[in-house]
Amino acid sequence: MRPDDELRSWPGLVERDGESHLRVTRGLVLSRRQAGFALVVLAATFAIPDITTLAPSLQLTVLHQGLLFGLAAIGLNLLLRHTKLVSFGHAAFFGTGAYTAAVLATHYDVQSMTVLLVAALVAAGLMAAVIGYLSLRHTGLYFSLLTLAFGQLLYALVQGQSFFGSSDGLPVRPGPANRPLVFGLALEPEVYSVVMFYVTIVVLVASLVVMWRLVNSPFGAALDAIGEDRQRARFIGIPVRRYVWAAFVVSGLYGGVAGALYGMVRQHVRPEPTLHFLSSGDILFMAILGGYETLVGPLVGGTVLVFLQDVGRDVTAYFDLLTGVVLLLIVFGFPSGIVGSLQHGGRLRVAGRQLRADPTVVGDWLAAAGRAILTGVGVWLRNLGSVVGVR
Amino acid sequence: MLRAEELHKSFGKLAATDDVTVEFGRSEAEHVFIVGPNGAGKTTLVNLLTGLLSPDAGRIVLDEEDITNHSPEERVHAGLVRSFQVVRLFESMTVRENVRLAVLSREGKTGSALSLVDEHEAVERDVDDLLDQFRLAEHADQVASELPHGDRKLLDVAMSFALEPEYLLLDEPTSGVSTRETEHVIETIVEVSEREGVTTVTIEHDMDIVTGYADRIIALHQGSVHGEGPPSLIETDDELRQLLLGVDE
Repeated sequence: MRPDDELRSWPGLVERDGESHLRVTRGLVLSRRQAGFALVVLAATFAIPDITTLAPSLQLTVLHQGLLFGLAAIGLNLLLRHTKLVSFGHAAFFGTGAYTAAVLATHYDVQSMTVLLVAALVAAGLMAAVIGYLSLRHTGLYFSLLTLAFGQLLYALVQGQSFFGSSDGLPVRPGPANRPLVFGLALEPEVYSVVMFYVTIVVLVASLVVMWRLVNSPFGAALDAIGEDRQRARFIGIPVRRYVWAAFVVSGLYGGVAGALYGMVRQHVRPEPTLHFLSSGDILFMAILGGYETLVGPLVGGTVLVFLQDVGRDVTAYFDLLTGVVLLLIVFGFPSGIVGSLQHGGRLRVAGRQLRADPTVVGDWLAAAGRAILTGVGVWLRNLGSVVGVR
Repeated sequence: MLRAEELHKSFGKLAATDDVTVEFGRSEAEHVFIVGPNGAGKTTLVNLLTGLLSPDAGRIVLDEEDITNHSPEERVHAGLVRSFQVVRLFESMTVRENVRLAVLSREGKTGSALSLVDEHEAVERDVDDLLDQFRLAEHADQVASELPHGDRKLLDVAMSFALEPEYLLLDEPTSGVSTRETEHVIETIVEVSEREGVTTVTIEHDMDIVTGYADRIIALHQGSVHGEGPPSLIETDDELRQLLLGVDE
């Protein structure tokens, strides 16, 4: 008998090794410490609207956007972590979700949040099915370039069409309340933004659980195999193309639901932040920043990056530099990302062990730091150049 | 019966496979060895049979069904399984996970996205059996990349048998294996394939192994069938012996 069969309710408490564990879903069982940590994080997340009213430097919409881009990054990470495919075009699905909500709200006066969400899921799924079918004919660099190309195609199409509001975008303000109805309720603006935040949290938790189940299923194992050795996977009978395509569509669905929520939260959708390839790059960067070898890393990465970009805009005119510096820090210092590094027991402890084992490693560190500084200065000079008009 | 009919495959001007007609599995668990000097087209033939390459002309027939245009994965599910010359495992997975994946694939369960990977009891039982048969049980939770070479080869073979093939095509199963372990690897392959009634098609350079285990040999030279018959052909056919010894090391 499997240990977690002792109690079949969901969720539930199970006994294991004489200790109670929290069972989130079949197979996902947390120890007391883990469960406690998860509860604290969840409670803190639910308290964010309160915290943001107390701390004015934190803005609810910024954190909210960070979580939504993070949700898209979780989807992208299914491809990145498991099938080892680098998509440079995931903004396409985020944008499809956002624009589906906007078009339905603006042109067809669809008021229900639920309908908008479901419609966005369907649209993003279809879009991912088409783009995936065409892009997955190739792997590696050409796959990445194709996703980039399709993403930009979509961006150009939307930006050029007055139906989509061209570069001004479209509002998401249906009905007399000027906002989508949340479960049939017309909410006041302040209430609306808080409730939408909680809706996002619920969607996020559900998405994480679904993703956990997916990557721990036979299908997830098959995706891992495909990522490791595509040809070998075929020769143990795995229909590689079909599975990668399915993974691509799932990953698009995550982008779609995130984009739709984004549209409803911002109540306005423009092409740049949703469809442009820079957003695709951001989503990819979020996964790496947070730690693409982990499940929740992309979510953390999304929140941190959006927050940094927002703060950076206030603090310095060269806020792009900030992203560059963070990227350098990650690549040279914390290649497994924020969550990955925390899991590995801290970079400093690792460094300490390395140092004790072989003191000459200091030389490597200095060289890496030197390279990082030089690259940073290069980026800074280029930014400076563009600001003062030097080519 | 697995049959190749008038197969042709050229790379540029080079005819790697030139009008090859061969068949495998004339008897239950027949062991056919493909021999020939380097560049004779042995691997190309295996690649054509298993769908890694598609022929320029000719057909491949598996149990009276034309599979010439079937994908590799369709052929695997039809009972035609191969291994590669260089062992190819899913390196970051454990031994158990490697074997499990093959069993899941055979059972058509890899598409299941809602079950947990380790909760299929019949699959787990099969995996345990296979690990025992190939003496890998003690390494079950070791990551594949950390296995000693002989065990890597055995794991590769175990994954092939996990697919329950009717025909198993082995491209130099003893390459890179130490002399001491060679016999163990071959013995295991022969033993399991006879018990399971699997016909094997093996590319092999070591003539001691060929004469020791072959029911029949097929000799290739410059893409064509030079001759076929009992393993004693190597002794009796002077021209063949010249080819095998003269060009090969």
